[in-house]
Amino acid sequence: MEMRGNGRRAVVIGGARTPFVKAFTDFTKMDTIALGVAAVSGLLKKTGLGHREVESLVWGGVILPGASPNVAREISLDLRLDPGCEAMTVTRACASGLQAVTLGAAAIERGEADVVIAGGSDSTSNAEIKLPQKVVHALAPLALGKPTPADYVGALSQMLPLNEVLPQRPRIAERTTGEVMGEAAERMARRNEITREAQDTFAARSHHRAAAAIASGRFDDEVVPVQTPSGKWVHADGLVRADTSVDKLAKLKPVFAKDGTLTAGNSSALTDGAAAVLLMSEEKARSLGLRPLATISSWAYVGVDPADQLLMGPALAMPKALDRAGVKLADIDLVDMHEAFAAQVLSVLKMLASASFARSRLGREQAVGEIDPERLNVHGGSLALGHPFGATGARMVTTMANELARTGKRTALLGICAAGGLGAAAVMQHP
Amino acid sequence: MNDFLLTLGKNQRARAFVRALGLPLPLPVSLRRDDGPWRERPLADARVVVGSTSGAKLASAIAECIASAGADPYLASPDSLSSAFRGPGETFGRPARPLSALGEDERVDALLFDATGIHDVAGLRALHEFFHPLVGRLNRSGRVIILSRSPEGAVPEAAGAQAAVDGFVRSVAKEIGRIGATANLLLVAQDAEARLAPVLRFMLSAKSAFITAQPVAITARARQLPEPPLVRPLEKKIALVTGAARGIGEATARALAREGAHVVCLDRPADTGPTSQLARSIGGTAIAVDLAAKDATAAIDAGLRPLGGIDVLVNNAGVTRDKTLARMSLELWNQVLDVNLGATMAISSAVDPLIRDNGRIICLSSVSGLAGNVGQSSYAASKAGIVGFVAAMANRLAGRGITVNAVAPGFIETRMTAAMPVAIREVARRLSALGQGGRPEDVAQAIVFLASPGAQGITGRTLRVCGGAFVGA
Repeated sequence: MEMRGNGRRAVVIGGARTPFVKAFTDFTKMDTIALGVAAVSGLLKKTGLGHREVESLVWGGVILPGASPNVAREISLDLRLDPGCEAMTVTRACASGLQAVTLGAAAIERGEADVVIAGGSDSTSNAEIKLPQKVVHALAPLALGKPTPADYVGALSQMLPLNEVLPQRPRIAERTTGEVMGEAAERMARRNEITREAQDTFAARSHHRAAAAIASGRFDDEVVPVQTPSGKWVHADGLVRADTSVDKLAKLKPVFAKDGTLTAGNSSALTDGAAAVLLMSEEKARSLGLRPLATISSWAYVGVDPADQLLMGPALAMPKALDRAGVKLADIDLVDMHEAFAAQVLSVLKMLASASFARSRLGREQAVGEIDPERLNVHGGSLALGHPFGATGARMVTTMANELARTGKRTALLGICAAGGLGAAAVMQHP
Repeated sequence: MNDFLLTLGKNQRARAFVRALGLPLPLPVSLRRDDGPWRERPLADARVVVGSTSGAKLASAIAECIASAGADPYLASPDSLSSAFRGPGETFGRPARPLSALGEDERVDALLFDATGIHDVAGLRALHEFFHPLVGRLNRSGRVIILSRSPEGAVPEAAGAQAAVDGFVRSVAKEIGRIGATANLLLVAQDAEARLAPVLRFMLSAKSAFITAQPVAITARARQLPEPPLVRPLEKKIALVTGAARGIGEATARALAREGAHVVCLDRPADTGPTSQLARSIGGTAIAVDLAAKDATAAIDAGLRPLGGIDVLVNNAGVTRDKTLARMSLELWNQVLDVNLGATMAISSAVDPLIRDNGRIICLSSVSGLAGNVGQSSYAASKAGIVGFVAAMANRLAGRGITVNAVAPGFIETRMTAAMPVAIREVARRLSALGQGGRPEDVAQAIVFLASPGAQGITGRTLRVCGGAFVGA
């Protein structure tokens, strides 16, 4: 394995997350900071780590609160961690959670810290409805100066036509292309010839595996119950449907194109939730007598043109991360891919299996390889569990770390697609 | 420069009205152009129908080219073609589908036919079989491209069949010009198939909007280059454009700069104002030289030396002194020949040691030069001379990978053509397949393409940018 810097390695000690629930349900009154507090406090309790021992909090988020965008610092202050625990918030769209983890790992490798909590959260329920800039610019003289009556009239006169000044409903659309992410995934399904049936089959499997994991208690290690402001306790993920089937999913109507193949059933839902991971240097873990679950061995981030295949990034990032870890896809025991859309995962799998893709896009003779469905998303993925944007990466790291530790398997590969044409990947190994 | 009929034609109601009255007015459609920088996928989501005869050789090159350019291929003969399209389809997410997957009335953006398997008269029937049912489904500003072999050196029957394709393309160009569509012929030498893709990409794109009825020969004459870049093809290149102050020269300087070149803008000392303004706005350099003066080449040499050499020379500067032969004085004759042909040769020779390997020389010819024109004996002589000059110069420089080509504009809307008498101007505009004048940018796009590394297969040629003028080669 490639050794970086001074040979220090970052290891995962444990992870915890809130239940993931559908937006505008149980967590509606909890913003991204409150969700983050719930996940980090659950992690501290679970690992038995003292508040003073955390040196750094790195947090990922996509829908950041305008008044306090450094969510990480707000979490650490609300939790009354030591004020000396520094904190930063990062955003790399849906890869933000993994971004936080790999930044934490990098800081440990560089010797900047020995104990880092990394994770992410998002509350789609608390996306801020923004006033159009036109209104902001028109009102600025009234708010900032000593306005005369004429100024009020002037400001009002700039408000026409009215449809331009009404608050806009937030949408997950690419800034450069204006395309909604589901439309991009719909185009990918068509271009990579991913059938509706293949998507529904994949989605059903995600639900069945997630339901089995919940039923078996497999997630009890990672999901911490959360008490909402109304006093209600939420114990379990809210989106998983044990009773779904390909037949049931086949009945759903396409949502992004009239003759399309993407439905609410084979696309991930808007979700509220948070996940956190405790990272340490190997030495620190040893000195505290803690057993590492996994190492963070390598990672890679890539960008592609969002106007082409917006969500294909993992097909480029995963081979890169494998190379950096010095392993081949054939050596990988577990693969965990973020399921933004079944069509997107299946498109990426097709690219990884294509020799001509490998030749033209990766500059290598052999295809990266096929991924056995038995090794892929063994406990389901975002289709079933939901996808609080910033939390997903830390959820995947947690699940894979636990899986490596429980099964004794050697290596796991993570892949995440993200808005803006970004892709992310990481390799985790048995310590 | 305002084309009334073109403007009128943009209005759907006016179009319907003119048609209803049965007025004999040609209403040209406005061409789909792309004035922005080169794109990685210039054909994004375009429907390209691909056909071929048995024994055709270029399927792989075509497949790779159009899939990487973002087009969706539809195969007229899936049995023979689909294996070549499978790999590129996977790579770029552009799987080839059989033509039958499209509804009968669905329109297409390009018809691409590989005719390299045609060797006799019977083989020519494939052209009819492919194009006859499809030509009516071509979109406005669509493309017809046929790939063939040059008839030179073939056995007589094959040479006749291959030459026949040329006449076919020129006629199709005239038939589809009224919808702004173009038809061109790419003659691909057997040892130059690796150089086809960038040319095909350009000819299919909106950047070749005013090039039609044009055969383009692709050969292995100039030394081979590594993989050409798809975007910003002129990054880190230095280009010299003569006559840069306005018109085609200015458009060319801007277009070269847009693709990353540092452009040295040269014009007469009297035009220092606009020349230096242009240079400033594109981050280039201005030099003032009178090309008619004796010390012109020395001045250019002095201007270029500090840059340490150049990669692209565009000999654009030219003058007209139109008079019928009986009225033309020797002085006027000399002015035209000295600048248009003499200075072009002198600059090319002077720059020869300064031009880097794999460089480009592009000279401005003219359709007048190819066809002849009343009152332009001197001008046409100078511009026809360019054709011969580039052909011979190409041979001399091929070993260094330098290509030498000419661009022959047809009727282009410039200050020069705006000064023409109305009646003559109107006739000149309409007497072309596309029924309208071109823009200086159209010529500039062709020059940028010839200047790009991807044009390594084209040398010693004259490329017409004339909208399919009814006269000219």
